[in-house]
Amino acid sequence: MKRPASRTARRRSRSWRDYRGYLYVLPAFAVYLAFAVLPALHTAYLSLFEWDGVTLGSWVGLANYREVFTDPALRGSVVNALVLVVFFSFLPILAGLVMTGLLALPRSRSGAGQGRRRGMSGYRLLFMLPQVVPLVAVGVTWRWLYGEDGLINETLGGVGLGGWARAWLGDFDWALVAVGLVGTWVLSGLCMMLFLSGVQKIDPQLYEAARLDGAGPVREFVSVTLPQLRGELAVALTVTTVAALASFDIVYVTTGGGPGEETTVPGLLVYRLAFSAGKVGLASALGVLLSLLILVIVYVVNRLSRPERSEP
Amino acid sequence: MAWRRTTLPGTVLLALLAMLVAACGALTPGSAADPDRPRAVPSATAVPDRKVTLRLTFADAPAMVDALIAAFHKKYPDITIEPRYTQFADYVKSIKLTMASDTAPDLAQFAVGMDDIAARGDILDLAPYRDAYGWRKKFPATALDQLTGSGPQAASGRRLYGVPAGLSMTGIYYNKELARKAGITRPPRTRAEFDRQLAAVKKAGMTPLGVGALDSGGLHLWAALVNNAMPPKRYRDWVKGAPGATIETRRTLAATRKLVEWSRKGYFDESANGTTQTDSTARFTRGESVFLINGNWAAGQLSEAMGKKAGFFLLPGERPGARAVSSGFSVSYAISSRTRHPQAAGAFLDFLGSRQAAKIVSDNGFLPPDESAVPVPEGVLGEVARAHRRVTADDGMNHFPDFAAPDMLDPLRAGVQKLIAGRTTPEAYLDSLQDVWEDRYGGAP
Repeated sequence: MKRPASRTARRRSRSWRDYRGYLYVLPAFAVYLAFAVLPALHTAYLSLFEWDGVTLGSWVGLANYREVFTDPALRGSVVNALVLVVFFSFLPILAGLVMTGLLALPRSRSGAGQGRRRGMSGYRLLFMLPQVVPLVAVGVTWRWLYGEDGLINETLGGVGLGGWARAWLGDFDWALVAVGLVGTWVLSGLCMMLFLSGVQKIDPQLYEAARLDGAGPVREFVSVTLPQLRGELAVALTVTTVAALASFDIVYVTTGGGPGEETTVPGLLVYRLAFSAGKVGLASALGVLLSLLILVIVYVVNRLSRPERSEP
Repeated sequence: MAWRRTTLPGTVLLALLAMLVAACGALTPGSAADPDRPRAVPSATAVPDRKVTLRLTFADAPAMVDALIAAFHKKYPDITIEPRYTQFADYVKSIKLTMASDTAPDLAQFAVGMDDIAARGDILDLAPYRDAYGWRKKFPATALDQLTGSGPQAASGRRLYGVPAGLSMTGIYYNKELARKAGITRPPRTRAEFDRQLAAVKKAGMTPLGVGALDSGGLHLWAALVNNAMPPKRYRDWVKGAPGATIETRRTLAATRKLVEWSRKGYFDESANGTTQTDSTARFTRGESVFLINGNWAAGQLSEAMGKKAGFFLLPGERPGARAVSSGFSVSYAISSRTRHPQAAGAFLDFLGSRQAAKIVSDNGFLPPDESAVPVPEGVLGEVARAHRRVTADDGMNHFPDFAAPDMLDPLRAGVQKLIAGRTTPEAYLDSLQDVWEDRYGGAP
């Protein structure tokens, strides 16, 4: 041991050191490979078959993909999912920003910069609650709220808008909006939490400088807070967009895709095609295309939100 | 060194890729049926005289199953049945795989999709037992007819894949008290009379017909109209996939138009499309509709909540005294082709036709196959039982329409919702159903 190591031995030990890092990654990588990568590849492989889930499948090449693009019901489901992006993504982010602006405002106005608004954790708990409740319970609750004798119709009746009352989830024009608003309710809290934590990292000097330049609270928010939240915005946009495009539980519990196909989303169809209709290949093809769509959107979001080079 | 550094991960990746390709080759989905497995039960019915344990997987009425198993065990102390309960929604999703596995249970509750399992040879053809045990006398013909598989050979009725324990049936409930307020004193005897009753209720300022169209209430109503329009044989040919069968006929079109007409005239609950069957039933018990489309499974609840106020009738035909028809299915059981004790399993199925089993089935809210074994119950339950006897006597029990194909349920449910909302035409609706049918059974010759 005390003998100086030979060149080759030194090289070996050095290379061992070089690769030891990979060894640490190996367990996580193996799990990832076994439970994420391989199933995904297997799904892509299955999408090339016509298979009922049990009997011997037959190779059909890209026929399943052709069907996804030509079947109006399948295409319609993708359009519905894109509409849901407005409710699952844009509205929650907007609501999150407004709430952040209101909650963070006194802090920046207080001069000290680090003063915390009283009851902050209470607000956090309140707005975070929808995230904690299981989505199935959320769906069941909202089905009651939207019901013909539900709270929403009762409220409308109470303020003299009884003519507007309807079975929201069974209405061809309103069902998708109603389902979308459930998503808005669930995801707004998440966005607000993200933005609030982001705001706390902003250098108070920026606010001070803005105030010296005579900026009001709105100007302050638009010129300082918003640009500084770029990273959080990107995360929120990514997470909520994926939630919209891959939505399943809320739709399954509230409308089951109805009325007609008004609220049918790809996630629901994948489930139905694979497990009820015995069309595993077609379901896989739809799943693969949905994943690709999500990847493209996430890539674009991340591309757009990358900070410009001039910024630190 | 640079060479090693770049290639070790590279080699690992290559190796992984190779493994993957190899794995893919072995991953050709599914497997062919084993030609050595028996396709039918043996004709001998002798029950083995040693200890035998059978496993039964099921999804409906756990209390009934437990009681049936206990009664059966008393009769055959050597045969023990181990029940395994699965929630219905999960059951229908996993049953195909369960029955295709080498550890398949000996007995399984019949469900949509069982016809595929039968075609693959995973459950046994019970025809030899039907003849040996004389099941044609013990069970209603329509109930057995629904269990003969699907596709071209099913129509012959030679095969049998399941035996019913409890039966179900749809129909129309009515609130006798509210009906009297609208001048209605008895169930309608023709469809036209029912039309007039709906109009009378509407005129009296009440909601005529509760329909839980958010789930399957709408398709039950449509099926009830079609049952009366289409000759049963042609309808059953369609559900079973007999070559050339079609749902696009002049009379089904008229039946579908009737549903649209009722909706346009405001005979349904305004929120039908947003109401589940459970909700529409609850509203009916609160007197928020005069009629309700539902099945015998709701009778117990309605009898309890409404007592003598609740009544039941079948949607009548065009002429008085027309054949009594309805939609229904059974809680029934099949035998796995992997079982080592087909005789013991057969003895259990035969037991389902006994008077003792009929009593248990009836106590649990189902209609027993042998109706003479139990007294006609009181109130609305009795009206359901009497209606069922008429349907059985008239050979008028049809399958639920979603039995036509595993993916027929959604076009039916969504289609009726669109009809109710006036978002599709009756022609386009029937066309969409026929498309699904042809996708499964092949186009018109």
